[in-house]
Amino acid sequence: MKQQKKVLALALVISLANLAALAQQQPLDRTKVPPPGPSPVLHVPTWTKTQLSNGAILIVSERHGLPLVSFTITFLGGANQFEPAAKRGVAAMTASMLTEGTTTKTGDQISDALQLLGTNVNTGIGGEEGSIGFVSTAKNFEPTLAILADMMLNSTFPAEALERLRGRTLVNLTQAKDQPTVVGAQVFAKILYGNAHPYGQRVTETSVKGITRDDVVAFQKAYFQPGRAIITVVGDVTPASVKTSVEKGLAAWTKAGDKPSFDYPKLPELQPAKIYLVDKPGAAQSVVNIGLPGPPRNTPDYFALQVLNTILGGQFQSRLNANIREQKGYSYGVNSNFNYGKGPGAFRAGGSIFSAKTDAALVEFMKELKGIVGEKPITDEEVKTAKESLIQGLPQRFASVSAISNAITSLYVQGLPEDYYQTYAKNVSAVTKEDLARVAKQYIDLNHLAIVIVGDRATVEAALKATGIAPITYIDLEGNPVGN
Amino acid sequence: MNNKRRVLSALALVLTISLSQPLLGQKSSASDSIKIPFETYKLPNGLTVILSVDRTTPTVAVNVWYHVGSKNELPGRTGFAHLFEHVMFTGSGHVPYGLHDKLTEGVGGGNNGSTTNDRTNYFETIPSNYLESALWLESDRMGYLLDTLDIAKLNAQRDVVKNERRQSYDNQPYGRVSEIFSAAMYPKTHPYSWPVIGSMTDLSAASEEDVKAFFRLYYAPNNATLAVVGDFDPAQAKAWIQKYFSDLPKGQPVERPNVALGKLESSKRLVYEDRVQVPRLYIQWPTVGFKHDDDYALSVMSSILSGSRTARLTKALVYDSQAASQVFAFQNSAEDVGVFQVTVIPRPEHSLTELEAAVDQVLQKFISEGPTAEELQKAKSGLELNFLRGLESNLGKANQLIDGAVFYGNPGQFRTDYQKTLAVTAADVKRVANQYLTRSRIVLSVVPKGKKDQASKAAESEAVSVLIRGGRS
Repeated sequence: MKQQKKVLALALVISLANLAALAQQQPLDRTKVPPPGPSPVLHVPTWTKTQLSNGAILIVSERHGLPLVSFTITFLGGANQFEPAAKRGVAAMTASMLTEGTTTKTGDQISDALQLLGTNVNTGIGGEEGSIGFVSTAKNFEPTLAILADMMLNSTFPAEALERLRGRTLVNLTQAKDQPTVVGAQVFAKILYGNAHPYGQRVTETSVKGITRDDVVAFQKAYFQPGRAIITVVGDVTPASVKTSVEKGLAAWTKAGDKPSFDYPKLPELQPAKIYLVDKPGAAQSVVNIGLPGPPRNTPDYFALQVLNTILGGQFQSRLNANIREQKGYSYGVNSNFNYGKGPGAFRAGGSIFSAKTDAALVEFMKELKGIVGEKPITDEEVKTAKESLIQGLPQRFASVSAISNAITSLYVQGLPEDYYQTYAKNVSAVTKEDLARVAKQYIDLNHLAIVIVGDRATVEAALKATGIAPITYIDLEGNPVGN
Repeated sequence: MNNKRRVLSALALVLTISLSQPLLGQKSSASDSIKIPFETYKLPNGLTVILSVDRTTPTVAVNVWYHVGSKNELPGRTGFAHLFEHVMFTGSGHVPYGLHDKLTEGVGGGNNGSTTNDRTNYFETIPSNYLESALWLESDRMGYLLDTLDIAKLNAQRDVVKNERRQSYDNQPYGRVSEIFSAAMYPKTHPYSWPVIGSMTDLSAASEEDVKAFFRLYYAPNNATLAVVGDFDPAQAKAWIQKYFSDLPKGQPVERPNVALGKLESSKRLVYEDRVQVPRLYIQWPTVGFKHDDDYALSVMSSILSGSRTARLTKALVYDSQAASQVFAFQNSAEDVGVFQVTVIPRPEHSLTELEAAVDQVLQKFISEGPTAEELQKAKSGLELNFLRGLESNLGKANQLIDGAVFYGNPGQFRTDYQKTLAVTAADVKRVANQYLTRSRIVLSVVPKGKKDQASKAAESEAVSVLIRGGRS
């Protein structure tokens, strides 16, 4: 229909215009996809790297377009290395307690001072790394740094504040139980890694109730040490001025601490594929997570896995979403990812599925996983698009001062080469279809997938059984088995 | 990443600076940094164009806003603006399905859209060498979307929207609060009374012709604004814009609905039972939209009431009495209407009735004394940093400029907003507190299933039925 209309329009133009006029006003051929211009040159930010006398690494990258500074101290190792299993939550609690007052300032005074500087100091401790930092205007960089140093080094950890934060944390944990996506992620981790592996542990009511002020004080002393710290400063600064500011601002931060080791216990033995069903009566959707433990970030297969995942579930038009959302309409969006870290992070595929289509969607998930492992071979076109997408997406990682800070810091946290971004395109390009076929088989082990579904058992159970995909085990919100 | 796509903004939290963020003290240096260089012009077919060059990163943002949102819909035919946000990604006259994604995410960029009560936007972020194809894509769906829109495509996206509703509202604890408020705040025929995502019954009932008529009226160049921001050559961009957009026909003039502000004859108390374990208290007062000057003072007031640990409500409820786990206060404004909302999450052993009284006590004191000079200064101190951080993103800049163009006819409106927010005085804040927080209001308690007695003043509260305006598929 569309083409007929075009022909007609063209005929009309020809009949009305003489040839000379036509030559001047060539009607636009909208069917032609405009070709791209020449690829822009990749500008990877440069940086200087020095070591302070206290052992911390100092990285400075200049970016002068706007009067902004990003300042971050990143610590190697996180809750998995520094939290006892029975005290899960002490890292996050300590991070929060840094806002509660120092030897010279109350929590209110710190808050007011930061508000007047127009910024905030954020502390966060994840599984394998933590950080404290801020983004400020260039003129407020030094006064904000002074507050950060005071918080990190001179906090007094008032006991009443601990009780208040404990109360808030317990409310948050209760609310999290009502969030099917949170429950899904927690149970999935527990099934894959078990209680003995830090990847399978989480903060619980019991662990939060057991945290004492002494635990917080001890954590602060053990954790925030320059020997494992990378200080990254990006923005409207110079390396010389930053070094002066940082040496002055962190003068009281004396040499201590080592880089942690990342030894993890052995994984529990892989189980034959199984559906783990968590009953959420009345749920409008089923939260589906499918997967198994995968490789660490330093795997030599990293680039092949990135290309593979881009094809399978990293993008909107990846196989999973194109099928389950766009063609079938079972979901608002599904995806897959490899969760890279120092240990065996999970491969996971999933999404929120309309309850009545849970079985049908699971059939499609399995079809796509089998497909990527070999039944539906990866095409040249898919490989080309995935590689282009990865390579040409690189400049977005340098789009802001905080993005640049992350991009540079992650190289040192993950132990990657300093020319990582310069060689990125080459490494992605080098991935072959044979590599993809191999890593798909190796890391997406169809016989040992855990299929975790949080949904309305009454609606989904019979249909799931009928698919015959895997036997069903019933578990509770904590991931513990319940009777049938 | 996928889940973020085609996100629906439940209420218009539009990106004018005045709305959400606090601001700054040192006026001179601040106003020096508050700038975005741009040029703007109109094509003969009415398309407004804004160009802003920033060569920091070799990427470009292309952003098209249509001045149509859920408020342009009619009762019984709701959800169309948001449905188009989905349909617009499924191909058009010369663009086969999938190519849009291929020329954006497939080349290292991205695309998305969003819908509010007032406007719909569509955008691409791309490596700068893909600017021409992005303009081609946007022009094709502006001019030729209906060429390939059939009932099958429509049905497929209806299913996706229903899943979006399940994910964002129905399967989300407290996910129905905003639509309960919209329905309670405005009369049934009021254009802000239905949720942006619309009624699933209406969506199911919509005919192909209904939907196409909506598109013809609202998605023409004269109702659209295009911004290109980032690393490009302006002369080349203008030539491409001329090439792809200039022959699209002008549409009918769009009539802007004359929308009455929210006004409650008397206060309402509602209770809604949800699949939650922790109850929550919500209070809303009708205020004004973001084009009204009181919006600046109301926004400043929100930062004085919550957000930092010394903010009035936070200090009293979370730190001093510790009856609440968290408290939030904010002015939520759209083009024509606005509301001021307070949300309280209680600690165990503290009832919503107790918390409502505690909120009122803080507000009464504030209404009678107004803010201190220091409170006012703190509330404004973050503005400059927030503005500068917004400039780091091409898309953020594009949104600022278009927002001004669409709602004020002036892409440079961000500067006015900034100055007017800085100019807010303690007397202004005291006046708006008196004027708006003493009005009739809606108190909504969300409680666990079967626990209506946990509502604030339960005996006086009216139950909200689960089905709101056919809101369930």
